[in-house]
Amino acid sequence: MTRPGTLPIIEFHDLTVAYGGRPVLWNVDLTIDEPCLFGVIGPNGAGKSTLLKSALGLVPVVGGSVRFFGSPLNRVRGRVGYVPQRETVDWDFPVSVTDVVLMGTFPRLGWFRRPGRKERVLAAECLERVGMNQYAHRQIGRLSGGQQQRVFLARALAQQADVYLLDEPLAGVDVRSQENIFRVLSELRDAGKLVVIVHHDLRTAAEWFDRVALIDRRLVATGKTDTVLTPENLRTTYSGHLEVLDALGQAVATGARTP
Amino acid sequence: MSGGLPYNTIVVLGGVAAIGFASGVVGSLSVLRKRPLVGDAAAHATLAGVALAFLVTGRRDIPTLALGAFLSAVAGLVTLVGIRRYTRTREDAATAIVIGVSFGIGVALLAGITTRGLPGAAGLGTFLLGHAAALTASDAILLAVMSLGALLAVTCLFKEFVVVAFDADYAAATGWPVSAIDVILVTLVAVMVVVGLPAAGAVLVTALVVIPPVAARQWTERVSTMLVLAGVFGLLAAVVGVLGSAAVPRLATGPLVVLAAAAICGVSFLVAPARGLLMRRRHPP
Repeated sequence: MTRPGTLPIIEFHDLTVAYGGRPVLWNVDLTIDEPCLFGVIGPNGAGKSTLLKSALGLVPVVGGSVRFFGSPLNRVRGRVGYVPQRETVDWDFPVSVTDVVLMGTFPRLGWFRRPGRKERVLAAECLERVGMNQYAHRQIGRLSGGQQQRVFLARALAQQADVYLLDEPLAGVDVRSQENIFRVLSELRDAGKLVVIVHHDLRTAAEWFDRVALIDRRLVATGKTDTVLTPENLRTTYSGHLEVLDALGQAVATGARTP
Repeated sequence: MSGGLPYNTIVVLGGVAAIGFASGVVGSLSVLRKRPLVGDAAAHATLAGVALAFLVTGRRDIPTLALGAFLSAVAGLVTLVGIRRYTRTREDAATAIVIGVSFGIGVALLAGITTRGLPGAAGLGTFLLGHAAALTASDAILLAVMSLGALLAVTCLFKEFVVVAFDADYAAATGWPVSAIDVILVTLVAVMVVVGLPAAGAVLVTALVVIPPVAARQWTERVSTMLVLAGVFGLLAAVVGVLGSAAVPRLATGPLVVLAAAAICGVSFLVAPARGLLMRRRHPP
């Protein structure tokens, strides 16, 4: 086990990513070296999801590198859990809640072996943690958006990872699910895991995350939440999005959720 | 079985049953991966391979022609991937191109062979629409063994196929080689298309890979049940088609197989519990 402080948990080094010749992320240098709830914040199209996907090897990287615990991803993949955006899958797929959670145990099982009793017990525990055990046998399309998101979280828990990367886990999710997800993520942090969350709601960001990175195609600022979420930094990050900035100012002033 | 079906017919029926079952199972995975037309492209590409195998070897036994069919199916699929990767053409358009062009080549080659009256060329045309009665017992056994091989591969790689079909990004993020697993699946589809070719023909064999899975999906919310059910539907369609075409002299097998599969699918659309059109009205979701 790598102890916090000896090697960075995640290290983005001079990362550049482009889609069809258009750069989406430029020269991002970002190091996270201690377990925490880490928010990745920025406007639409800022490359937040791309940052996670490039870390997971899901999009080709033009330049730079990403390391986990000082190693390339392939050597430590078992220690990295992932929760993709809910919209990326077909919820009409003929699988049950338990089937989906069991997918989190597949990497440990390796080729050919099927999940057995041990894996089913683990899946049930993970469902319990996200408060979804009573839906274990339900087809996944017959759940609310928040419940679907909790199933995805349970699947990541079943990976028994040390780092969790979550892409907008709180978007379009009911309040009860939001509270449940936030509680589970806090428990992970308290158990010494790093939790990286792509997030778009600035007000809740200030409330929930220990550390944040502000991103707008490049890294604007990173560090402890209260030192980073300054009017100055926000103006730089959202400079191309003046209407968003106005709405943000009002939302922060009135304490309402940002759009 | 005195007075019953002749030995050859029984063996062919058994072989066709195995082909139908395996087609439904493999086809289910391809439908769940949202690539039902891959089988169509592979199937239409087989015809050129059948013709070329005959031209090159001068033989028309099933193993030779099946090998030719398989190689040209693979060539068609490689072309499909190449068009997508290097020309920014969308998958549906690239598939349509491969279906049309490869089938055109196949028909032109067959026409050339037929007009030149090459010895032994008679009967190649049966690969267009299928003619199961022309199969020998040993052909049927070979095709059945290949079907069982495809079933074995699905049994071994079931969890890998399902995780990729459900959420390819997640599968890749957790270390599964998605492209390699897709290549294995597409190869299995190509094998099933080739295996089904003598029975259902190049134009219609794809129906055995697509229609039974769609029908099966109506009845269940579990992948494993869907695969088995699609296999049973495929088996029924294949056997009914072969028996029907045996009863009517000159009738090709392919159309009857497809009609039988379509009938099963139609019934499933209407009366399957929870999803059936008639049931939905009574039990709103």
